[in-house]
Amino acid sequence: MNIRKISSQIVPPVFFFALFLFSWYALVEVFAIPPFLLPGPWLVADAVILHGERLLNATLLTAIGSLTGFTLSFVVGFCIALLFSQSRIIERGLYPYAIFLQTVPIVAIAPLIVLWIGYGLQGVVAVSFIISLFPIIANTTAGLTQVDPRLLDLFILNNAGRWQILFKLRVPNAVPNMLTGARISSGLSVIGAIVGEFFAGYGTDDFGLGYLIIQTSGQAKTDYLFACILFCTILGLTIFTAVGLSSHYLLRRWRG
Amino acid sequence: MNLLAIVPLIAILSCSETELASNSETSRNLVRLALNWFPEAEHGGFYAAQVHGYYAASNIEVEILGGGPDAPVIQRVATGSVDFGVTNADDVLYARAQKAPVVAVMAPYQVNPRCIMVHASAGIERIEQIENMTLAMSQRPAFSHYLRWKYAFKGVNIVPYPGNVSQFLADPDFAQQGYIFSEPFVAKSKGGNPRSLLVADIGFNPYASVLIVTENTLKEQADIVRAVVRASIEGWRHYLKDPTETNRHINTLNPEMGMEILAYGAKESKRLVLNEVASQNGLGHMSAERWNTLHNQMQNAELIKGNPDNVSAAFNTQFLK
Repeated sequence: MNIRKISSQIVPPVFFFALFLFSWYALVEVFAIPPFLLPGPWLVADAVILHGERLLNATLLTAIGSLTGFTLSFVVGFCIALLFSQSRIIERGLYPYAIFLQTVPIVAIAPLIVLWIGYGLQGVVAVSFIISLFPIIANTTAGLTQVDPRLLDLFILNNAGRWQILFKLRVPNAVPNMLTGARISSGLSVIGAIVGEFFAGYGTDDFGLGYLIIQTSGQAKTDYLFACILFCTILGLTIFTAVGLSSHYLLRRWRG
Repeated sequence: MNLLAIVPLIAILSCSETELASNSETSRNLVRLALNWFPEAEHGGFYAAQVHGYYAASNIEVEILGGGPDAPVIQRVATGSVDFGVTNADDVLYARAQKAPVVAVMAPYQVNPRCIMVHASAGIERIEQIENMTLAMSQRPAFSHYLRWKYAFKGVNIVPYPGNVSQFLADPDFAQQGYIFSEPFVAKSKGGNPRSLLVADIGFNPYASVLIVTENTLKEQADIVRAVVRASIEGWRHYLKDPTETNRHINTLNPEMGMEILAYGAKESKRLVLNEVASQNGLGHMSAERWNTLHNQMQNAELIKGNPDNVSAAFNTQFLK
């Protein structure tokens, strides 16, 4: 990529970010909005500097929780989708329950999950896993089943076995879908980890971003709360970008 | 910044003023009161003032709005979307620290009902004796941070508050926060044998269910504030003596709260609301000393930056006499 191309990609988002910051600043200044309603960007920056270490530690913990949940959901979701692709009856029988995962109000069942599997990291991972599982299942299943019928005929004509069709045709065909699912789930896994932290936490001295969000909102410390939200979005973006980059790399390989 | 900050608030508040004025022309003053939780015994006196017509007798119609977890009472009062709010004293100080111009005008609970609930079998008599167990406390209110700051809690795993007592009932080495007339009652009714340790007993005792208004309302509509404070006090007196009718009303608003637990709440509230201090100085009493103590405790625990001006501005006792 040459400089021109890079700058054409970087300049627009940076410009809009600057515009956003300025509008925020102007809004707070012109209307003299008090900090408990909307802190100015400089107050949020202050909070980031003042609580930087704690925010970084919290982000790291939340990252561990969400990445573990995400990885688990990717592996388990892939296995479930493989199962679905092998049997119409299983797919028809179980798919509605996979949708159930998507529609279940996670906030309502999170306390139960904690009751069943306990406080701490495992609780956070479980909530993150549940909330990010469905997009993987749905997209991977679609990729595994929606195969070009001509290619399928070609495999069958050449006497390909069930496993050969699965791993040489269906799985490669599903890679783009899997990565789409992974991109959706990457953001969800962070939300899941934060909701998990609301209920499960990490124990006495370890605080994730979920803990800090509850604490700062309870104490009306909006500047600190905004700093937490900023770190949440940075974490989500980082994971999203990492998945996006790996999909870029993988798809290039699959497509030759 | 400070002066500028008040400008939009005045604008918003003046809107609600005109609303009030036009209402008084027709017949009654309509004001709105936002609660910090679902309707419960801890708001009993305010409902009693409504049910038994104390507000109406002062020519005021009070619309009481139930709250819940995260109910932004202070924000709603500070921006003028409601006229009155009910919250706890620690939240008032948090809000003052963020330049929200709210003022407490009456404090029903002299003794904060907050407790730590342990299993009686654990043999724990005081909060500092809690060791080697799981302790569930919300990170939201100040008390949990104060306890963490004050005590070592050796071997204690502090976890988020689950919002119910299932975990407590399932685990003999589990302690959790509660309101003294709520969680322990539920735990007992489900076969548990809990013991309640009041957080107030260790000296951290923010006034609870305090009535708040904005500085502006206090200045511009002192008559209405006075009337609501006086009627609320009468309501609380009535509620402590005879809560049944009010409880029936609360029960219809919040069916989760059965008549039994409400009756228990009203009974237990008696010693917390009309303790010795309130019997001498009047129901709803607030003292500068108590507010200062709270401020210093919160400052020591690094929950707020110390600022004596915020304490003196946080409460006003002119309607209590």
